[in-house]
Amino acid sequence: MIVAERKPLEEIRRNLAGRKKVLVLGCGGCVTVCLTGGERQADMLASQLRTAAKVAGEPVEVTVRTPTRQCDREFIDTLKADVEAADAVVSLACGVGVQLMAEVYETKPVLPAVNTTFMGAHSGPGTWTENCRGCGQCVLAETGGVCPVARCAKSLINGACGGTNKGKCEVSRDIDCAWYLIYKRLKARGDLSFLRAEREPLDWGMSSSGTRRTLVHAEVNDQAHRRGAEGAEGAAERK
Amino acid sequence: MPGRQLTSEEYARLAGSDALIETEWAPCRAACPVHADVRAYLDLIARGRFREALDVIREVLPFPGACGRICHHPCEQECRRNDVDQPAAIRDLKRFVAERDYPEGQKFEKPLQERDKVAVVGAGPSGLTAALDLARLGYRPTVFDRGEAGGGLLRTAVPAYRLPRKVLAADVDAIVAQGVELRLNVEVGGAFQLDDLRSQGFKAVVIAVGLSKSRGLPIPGADAAGVELALPFLAAADSAGPGLAGKSVVVIGGGNVAVDVARTAVRLGAGRVQMACLENEKEQPAWSWERHEAAEEGVATLHRLGPKQVLVRDGRVAGAEFKAVTEVFDGNGRFNPKYDENRLTTLDCDVVVFAIGQEADLALVKGTDVKADERGRLVFDRSTSRTSAADVFACGEVVTGPGSAVEAVASGHRAARAVHQFLSGLPIDLGESLPPKIDKLAPATAQRLVKAARAEMPAVPAAERKANFGQFELGLSEAAAMKEARRCMSCASGPFVLTDKCAACLTCRRVCPFEIPEVKEIADISSALCQGCGICAAECPANAIVMAGYGPDAVRKSVDAALASLDPKGLRLVIFTCGHHAPAARWGGSDPARPAVSAKEVFLPSMSRLSAADIMYAFEAGAGGVIVLECESGTCRYPTVELRLRKRYEQARQLLIEAGVAPERLALHVGAADNQEAAFAAIALMAERVTRRAQGWAPRGQAAKPQTAEEKSK
Amino acid sequence: MSKFRDSLASGRFTFTGEIGPPKGTNVEPVLEEAVHYLKDCCAAVNVTDIQTAVMRMSSLAVCRMLVERGIEPVLQMVTRDRNRLALQSDLLGAAALGVENVLALTGDHTTMGDHKEAKPVYDLDSVGLLQTMRKLESGTDLGRTMKGEPNQLDGAPKFFKGCVVTPCAEEVEPQIIKLEKKVAAGAEFVQTQAVYDPRAFEKFMKSIGHIKVPVMVGIVLLKNAGMAKYMNANVPGVVVPKEITARLAAADKKELKKVSVQIAGELIRDMRGCCQGAHIMPLGWDKEIPRVIEASGA
Ligand SMILES: Cc1cc2nc3c(=O)[nH]c(=O)nc-3n(C[C@H](O)[C@H](O)[C@H](O)COP(=O)(O)OP(=O)(O)OC[C@H]3O[C@@H](n4cnc5c(N)ncnc54)[C@H](O)[C@@H]3O)c2cc1C
Ligand code: SF4
Ligand code: SF4
Repeated sequence: MIVAERKPLEEIRRNLAGRKKVLVLGCGGCVTVCLTGGERQADMLASQLRTAAKVAGEPVEVTVRTPTRQCDREFIDTLKADVEAADAVVSLACGVGVQLMAEVYETKPVLPAVNTTFMGAHSGPGTWTENCRGCGQCVLAETGGVCPVARCAKSLINGACGGTNKGKCEVSRDIDCAWYLIYKRLKARGDLSFLRAEREPLDWGMSSSGTRRTLVHAEVNDQAHRRGAEGAEGAAERK
Repeated sequence: MPGRQLTSEEYARLAGSDALIETEWAPCRAACPVHADVRAYLDLIARGRFREALDVIREVLPFPGACGRICHHPCEQECRRNDVDQPAAIRDLKRFVAERDYPEGQKFEKPLQERDKVAVVGAGPSGLTAALDLARLGYRPTVFDRGEAGGGLLRTAVPAYRLPRKVLAADVDAIVAQGVELRLNVEVGGAFQLDDLRSQGFKAVVIAVGLSKSRGLPIPGADAAGVELALPFLAAADSAGPGLAGKSVVVIGGGNVAVDVARTAVRLGAGRVQMACLENEKEQPAWSWERHEAAEEGVATLHRLGPKQVLVRDGRVAGAEFKAVTEVFDGNGRFNPKYDENRLTTLDCDVVVFAIGQEADLALVKGTDVKADERGRLVFDRSTSRTSAADVFACGEVVTGPGSAVEAVASGHRAARAVHQFLSGLPIDLGESLPPKIDKLAPATAQRLVKAARAEMPAVPAAERKANFGQFELGLSEAAAMKEARRCMSCASGPFVLTDKCAACLTCRRVCPFEIPEVKEIADISSALCQGCGICAAECPANAIVMAGYGPDAVRKSVDAALASLDPKGLRLVIFTCGHHAPAARWGGSDPARPAVSAKEVFLPSMSRLSAADIMYAFEAGAGGVIVLECESGTCRYPTVELRLRKRYEQARQLLIEAGVAPERLALHVGAADNQEAAFAAIALMAERVTRRAQGWAPRGQAAKPQTAEEKSK
Repeated sequence: MSKFRDSLASGRFTFTGEIGPPKGTNVEPVLEEAVHYLKDCCAAVNVTDIQTAVMRMSSLAVCRMLVERGIEPVLQMVTRDRNRLALQSDLLGAAALGVENVLALTGDHTTMGDHKEAKPVYDLDSVGLLQTMRKLESGTDLGRTMKGEPNQLDGAPKFFKGCVVTPCAEEVEPQIIKLEKKVAAGAEFVQTQAVYDPRAFEKFMKSIGHIKVPVMVGIVLLKNAGMAKYMNANVPGVVVPKEITARLAAADKKELKKVSVQIAGELIRDMRGCCQGAHIMPLGWDKEIPRVIEASGA
């Protein structure tokens, strides 16, 4: 799941630059699940905006909508009337949703209300922790299901660095050393062969460090079908 | 039972109506013969809204005073608290609201009565109920009774130490006040015949004559002086004085009537009272609490004794002889006693009272088109409440057989409906489809519930009470009643999940103190397991959980109302507090000690319902300050609320400060909800702090930011 | 060409020292100390690479200046700050500047240093860097031509490749596995994390008996008892026995340096039997290195 963090109100208000009619847009997807951008949080942001405006003596009109997802056009399209009635849209969706909104409603300022932070899992009460970086070349099969790319501060692929300390990462005592976990997991499985195998450097070109990535499922993409013979089915590719 | 789910659209259609809260019933309500909304009136009592609670009861039960004392309370038997500690004291709470004096009085409005005249024969609970229902529907009912007052057996048989006559009289008066005419000292079937009613223009007749004859036994000696029957014995008890002084009394029978007879005999001065019953201790039909109280008063119960003969000396009772009972019920569970004629027991005594059952006196229908069967029972169609005559209906024990007052009331409701349908020219259909009731508590859930001891009914000690007919149960104090009402867990008031909003985020599961929500494709919250605290509803990020009885905008509406009631020019404080907490409900009123600050309480069913967004809303709506009063630690009926509330308050506080609200405009006081002084102090403190730094909120541009900094540096 | 390689190859117990480039352009003092105190007693001198992610002058530049002063440098190279393009480029540059000894390291994380906002690179890890050096030595690089064939270098470098290991880590098995990989990837010498427990070290050396590359035990001078305690508590894989801390604590203030040198010397003396050299990290006490070596009896 994509995890995001609310931006400070001040920044949101600064970006709004005094616009009077604001549409606050929650998202029913990931950000609802991580308690950052659901309908409730959208309501609370709207409440903050109204109250802050009142304090400043410049009332605003704030409406709230929360589509199922902001990362799909069909859901976004249903917001047309509300978007048009507003001077600006403040979106609590991840960067994906904000961009799509901005693309669909090109002339409307669509402002982010959150910082999109990572892909992660619920790891404790009210806590989410990063687990995957979308590197495009998943190695979990060999690392006992612990991702060294996301969970090792240095994304090392050949084992722990010298900073590993009593199972924790050199960066912080609060973070487990990914390679310690991998070692323990593989050891428990009785197979350290991956640990022993000398790995070639990762191909960062497949990762988010590369260019924008696209996934095409040929079975539902007419254009791709014509190229189907090339066997590019379901492949991630770069444009 | 699966959880309750709705789409947002369905919810929008139903919100505000009773449909949601009526979807499923708590077991108490299902068990109540008249289906009184127990949860609703207990909740009102807990909030100190006694008069409203009484109104809820009166809707379906015209005898709150009487039933508040003598009801056999099947609701309590079914109460889900049985699995936690003890059932809620529902009957005692009913009595509490019924016997209270209300400043607004007990005014009743006569409904507009322009419909047909209906005659009811018998002013017992069933007849009066049928009449009242008909009056409320606009008919003109007249109740005929041969007695000198209304109330039926409750007046003539139920002993005054359990049901003071004036309590019953008040119930009857209230019924009369609502448009029921009562014609006393009229025996129908004597000089005045059933057909006379028809000729006098009564378009329908309801026979509600009860079971007025006590049964005796045709055993040798049964006609001797000193042999009595239960009903005449009880009826005479009021006037009999200490007629049994020093006498030894044997009561034959093991039911509730027999116990009443025995305890009445004690009060009439009997030296020794013994009950002889067929059944063993387990089989004995009298309620256990009655038996216990009788024993306390010195009544001895002898089991497995079948009456053989009354021993007579000089024409007077000298004793009673019994044969041993080997079996009371046969293999099919049918009453079919077997005796051992060789094992005999003799009890010396001066008086024998038969309390072995009652039967109907149907003299009034003799020679009319209202037929009785060969066993002397009215021909009666249960599905229509009708007798063999099209315009004659019946209700109460005359048709149901012996039971309880509230069952007679239920039967009266049915008869009234039947009459109404008949007189409206409709086919009679008494079929009722009741909402399903929720299951028993799961043991795992019961274990997590906060235990709370049941209020004990203060009672006069046995030694003292056995000397007179004074009411021996003294009633609950206001504080005890409110505390007791808070023990109700508001079963079945739990949430609906809005299917289109739920994001399956698991928050509900994670915050529920009972781990009740199951999240599959979406959340599934079992209404049987749910305790209705509403913690999940206040945390759900998708606003996908709505509480059946307390919608998502309920708090906001109350905030609006609170603010609207305050002078908009001054500083307006909104105080969130638990309406379920006794003293909190009281300090809401006008108290001379209350600070002269424009402040208004918003009472919640539990602080568990107050979300961070609700707190924020108060400012948005124009509150100058918000005080959250948390109950004293450990007093909430739900676990974890203290912690949740503090977290929500903290979240709201951060967000509000971020929005420029000066920090002194927000306060949380722990333990103040039940402490009037502390609450008043909280109001005064906030007013003072806000006034002292009267910048920041109302005047334009005076942002609270600098204050925040100042606050920090302080 | 590397004297350092030859020294280890000869079986002689070999010493290396270590200097850190300055934060600024004033490089003379550190060079002078190297000339004065390290030149004679050390086969080579490590030059740290933006150590603990605190920004300093380039390691390669200082290495070259040592070469010019007749001191053989060991170029420390971390993978934190440069991607594979820059690393390879600098490696070729090092070769051209006469820097042959290279110690491959991952490098402390950026957040440990004084530029916490920096983007950490870690395109390669230490094993990857060793693999890269081997590739360059073979005349190709990590990239490919348009046709997908290995790029050919115009002139291949030659390195004496080193790596590090932590002998006293709580979990030693992964250390050994990684060391095996480093050696397989081309490491020819090993310098260890600081060791204060000769017995533990001996045990470790036994467990890597199958790894046939020279190992130089790491010696960090303990300046006082406080430092000993700190290292023990905070530095990963460093265990300072209580007796050593006690000796430092008991030492007279004026005598501290002497005691410190004595301890280091004794450690080397105790461990020299099971390893091929010692890498002394003086942490500014460069002057003391000759005395440590003297105290070790080597
Ligand atoms: C001793 C005793 C104790 C009881 N204790 C309890 C208890 O604790 N809790 C409880 O819930 N229930 C109790 N009951 C039962 C309860 O009293 C009855 O269920 C209830 O009164 C039945 O109501 P009803 O309307 O059917 O008839 P009744 O109450 O019997 O009323 C019938 C009325 O019809 C009148 N009537 C009869 N014939 C004529 C006629 N021909 N003309 C005019 N009027 C006529 C009678 O005078 C009487 O007023 C007790 C009953 C007895 C006998
Ligand atoms: S300590 Fe572990 S997790 Fe942290 S950077 Fe090193 S190897 Fe990665
Ligand atoms: S949190 Fe409360 S309302 Fe929600 S499911 Fe649990 S008990 Fe029911």
